[in-house]
Amino acid sequence: MSSAASNDPYSRLTAPDSDGTPPTDPPMDIEYRGTQGPLFKLGLKTALLTLVTLGIYRFWAKTRVRKYFWSATAPGGDPLEYTGNGLEKLLGFLIAVAFLAIYLGLFQLVLIFAGLSLFSGSENGQDTALQIAASQVTLVAVVPFIFYAQYRARRYILSRTRWRGVRFGVEPAAWGYVWRAMGHWLLTVLSLGLLLPRQTFWLEKYKIDRTWYGTARFTQNGRWQDLYPAMKHYFIAAALILVPSLVAAMTEQPIWLVFLFLGAIWLYYAFAYYSVVSFRILGGAKQLGGKVFFTTEPRAAKVFWTYILGGLLASTCAGLVFSAFFIIASNLLGTSQMLAIEDMAEFKGFDQLGVAEFIGFFMIFMGYILMLVLYGVFGMIFIKQPVLEHYVQETRIVNPAALDEIEQRSRDEMVEAEGFADALDVGAAI
Amino acid sequence: MDISAPVSGKYFDGNSARQHGVQVYKDTRHGTAVLVIQPDTGAEVIWPIAELREVTEQARDEGIVLRLGQDGIARLIVPHGAAEDTIRAIAPDLGQVRVSRSKIRQLVLWIGGAVASVVLIMVVILPALANQLATMIPVEREQALGRTALGQISSFLGGDLAEMTCSNPAGLKALEKMTERMVGDTAIPYDLKVNVFNHKMINAFAVPGGQVVLFKGLIDAARTPEEVAGVLGHEVGHVVHRDPTRLMLRSAGSVGILGMVFGDFAGGALALVLTEQLISAKYSQEAEADADVFAHDLLAETGLPANSFAQFFVALREKHGDSEGFMSHLASHPNLQGRAEAARAADVIGEGPYTPVLNAAEWADLRKICD
Repeated sequence: MSSAASNDPYSRLTAPDSDGTPPTDPPMDIEYRGTQGPLFKLGLKTALLTLVTLGIYRFWAKTRVRKYFWSATAPGGDPLEYTGNGLEKLLGFLIAVAFLAIYLGLFQLVLIFAGLSLFSGSENGQDTALQIAASQVTLVAVVPFIFYAQYRARRYILSRTRWRGVRFGVEPAAWGYVWRAMGHWLLTVLSLGLLLPRQTFWLEKYKIDRTWYGTARFTQNGRWQDLYPAMKHYFIAAALILVPSLVAAMTEQPIWLVFLFLGAIWLYYAFAYYSVVSFRILGGAKQLGGKVFFTTEPRAAKVFWTYILGGLLASTCAGLVFSAFFIIASNLLGTSQMLAIEDMAEFKGFDQLGVAEFIGFFMIFMGYILMLVLYGVFGMIFIKQPVLEHYVQETRIVNPAALDEIEQRSRDEMVEAEGFADALDVGAAI
Repeated sequence: MDISAPVSGKYFDGNSARQHGVQVYKDTRHGTAVLVIQPDTGAEVIWPIAELREVTEQARDEGIVLRLGQDGIARLIVPHGAAEDTIRAIAPDLGQVRVSRSKIRQLVLWIGGAVASVVLIMVVILPALANQLATMIPVEREQALGRTALGQISSFLGGDLAEMTCSNPAGLKALEKMTERMVGDTAIPYDLKVNVFNHKMINAFAVPGGQVVLFKGLIDAARTPEEVAGVLGHEVGHVVHRDPTRLMLRSAGSVGILGMVFGDFAGGALALVLTEQLISAKYSQEAEADADVFAHDLLAETGLPANSFAQFFVALREKHGDSEGFMSHLASHPNLQGRAEAARAADVIGEGPYTPVLNAAEWADLRKICD
C-alpha cells in the first residue's frame, strides 16, 4: 500500500492541519466518482486485449485504467486528467530493454554461476549460508536500478498528470534518490527497523521537495520523530513474537509458540497501520507554494479490512469461474484418472489423447488463464478502487483560494517514460 | 435548441489553475465555423469546430470535455444536454488521434535497438560466456549438482534413486566392459559413471559431473549391444562437451531477459516458456548433433559399425513417429530420420567383420542388469 500511496499523485494533495496562516475560505473536498460497473468493463476489456496481444497491449491497458482513476478523482469537483499514452510507454519500454537486456543477462548468468560454484549438494549450514550470501551480494547489483526506476516512474506519472489544465512535475534527480534510498535502507536494516520512520520521512521529503504543481513547489515539513506513533503496532507485533519465543525457550514448553501465529497476523495489521498513519502524518505536514495546506484522515482499520475482505471476494469470484471451467472439463475427461498421474510412464503423450480429452485440457488451461485475468480485474474493483476512494474522500485542501495564483509549467518530455520500471517490474501500483 | 444561443460551461485556459465560468456559442468567423468561448471576465477565445477533439475515458460523466487539436492544453467542459449533442453532430473529428511521423521513426529505431540488444546477448554473448564459465566450475560442484539432479529425476519418475538404479553384478560387469571399449583413451574431464535406471522409458541422459544414465527400456528395445553402445557414445559426447552445465547456464541467463520482455501479465509465463523452449531447442539440437558426431567417431575408433546406431533410430521412428513441421523446432532432439542418415553416412565398417562390443553371454547379462 505504501508504494501505491507514494506513487499516486493524489497523495500529494493530502494532509494535515495547517501550521501557518489560518485559512480564509472553507477547505476544498476531493470527490471520488468512480463506480464498479464501468471500471470492471474497462479492466476486463483491457486485460483480455493484453492477453491476446501477448502482452503488447499492456501499455495501453495501463494508460486507460489510469485515465479512469485520475478522472474519477476531482478536487473541488474538477477531475484530474492523465495525459500519458500507450505509445510513449511502449517506446520507453523498448529503450529500457535495449539497455537492460545485456546487463540483466550477464547479471543472471553470474548469479547462477556464483550459486553453482558454491553448491555442494550437502545440507550443511555453512554451505547454505555461503550460497545465500552470494546471491545477496549479486542482488545488490540490481537494487540501484530499482530505485532509479521507481523515481523515474513517479516523475513520468506526475508529468502526465494535470488538474485544472495545469501540469504536475518532478525535478530530475533520480541518482540522488538512489544513493539516499540505499543508505536509508541499510540504516533501517542495521537498526532492526527502529529507524524506519527516519527512512520514510527523509525519502518522502526528498521526493516531495522536488515535486511541483505548475509554478508552485510542494514542501514536506515536520520531523522524522513525528512518525513514531505510526510504529505502534509494529512494536506490539514484535512483542507478541519475541515474548512467547523467549518464554518457550526458557520454560522449554513449545506450547507458547502458538502465540507466534497471533504475532504474524498482527504484523499484517501493523504494516497497514504504518502505511496509513505515516501517510496521515506526512500528509498533514505538506504544503504547496507556502500557502496551500492539506488535511487527510484515512483510517487504518478501513484500509486493512478492505484488503482482507476485498482480497477474499476477488479470489472467491475468480475461483468460481475456474471451478465452472474445471467441472465442464472433468466431464469431458470422463474419469479423473487423467488428472492424477502418479507415474509419468502411464502418461502416453498428448498425441494419444482423444478430442474430448484435448478439449478438456484446453478448458482447464483457459479457465486457469481466465482466473488470473479476473483476479486482477476483481482486485481492481474490490481493493484498489475502494482504498483509493477512501484516501481521496478523507483528504481536504486548506486555503484553496491560493490555488488560483498558480501558473502553468513547461512540459517534461521524458522519452523513456516509465520504461525502466516496466522492464524491472517495479512500476506504480496503479 | 442548438448552441447559437450561448450555454454555460467551464473553461481552464492552460495557463493558470483558475477556473473560468464561460458562455459558449457557435458562430462563423472569417468564413469558418467556430466555437466562441466568452469568459465572465477577459477576452473571448475562438476554437474552430473542425479542430475540436474530445478528451475520452472520463470516469466522471458531467458532460463533454473538449480540447483544441491533439496537443491543446486548455479544456472546455460543456454539460450534458442539447449543446453537447449539437457539438457531437457538427464537429467532424472529435475522436481523431494522429501519431506523428517522428514518433513512428523513433519507435522503429528502438524496436531495432531492443531486438538487436536481446539477440546479441541471447545468441552471441550468453552462449559464449556459458561455454567459458562451464569449464570454470569446480568438478566436485558439478558432481554434487549432478547427484541432486539424479535424485530429482528419479523421484519425478516415481522412485527412489537407490531402488531405481540397477545393480545385478554380471550386468554391471558387461556395462563396464562396454563403457571401457567405447571410451578407450578419450580424455574425459570427469570421473565417468554409467548407470541403468529400471524404467521402461526408451531414453538415456547425462547430468552435470560425468554421470550417464541409460533406461532399462532402451536396453530392451535395442536388438544388438552395438545399438546400446552407440547411445552410450552419444551420452559420453555430452559429458565431454560439458553440455548439461553449459545449457543450464545459458538458459539461466536468458530466462531473466525473456521475463523482462514479456512482463507479468496472465499468459506471459506461457509466452516465456514457449520462447525459451524454442531457443533452448535450437541449442540442444546443436548439442545433440555434436554428440551424435562424437558417438560416430568413438564407434569408428573402436571398430564398431555406426550402422547399428542408425538402425536404432529407424526402429524408434517406426515405433513412435518423428517430429515434423513446427513441432520439430520445439523438440530438444533433431529428427530421427536425419540422425539415422547421418549415422549411416559415418559408418566405416559396412558389411565387413568386427569384434562385437559384448559377446552373447555378456549381452544376455546386460539385459538382465535389473534382475
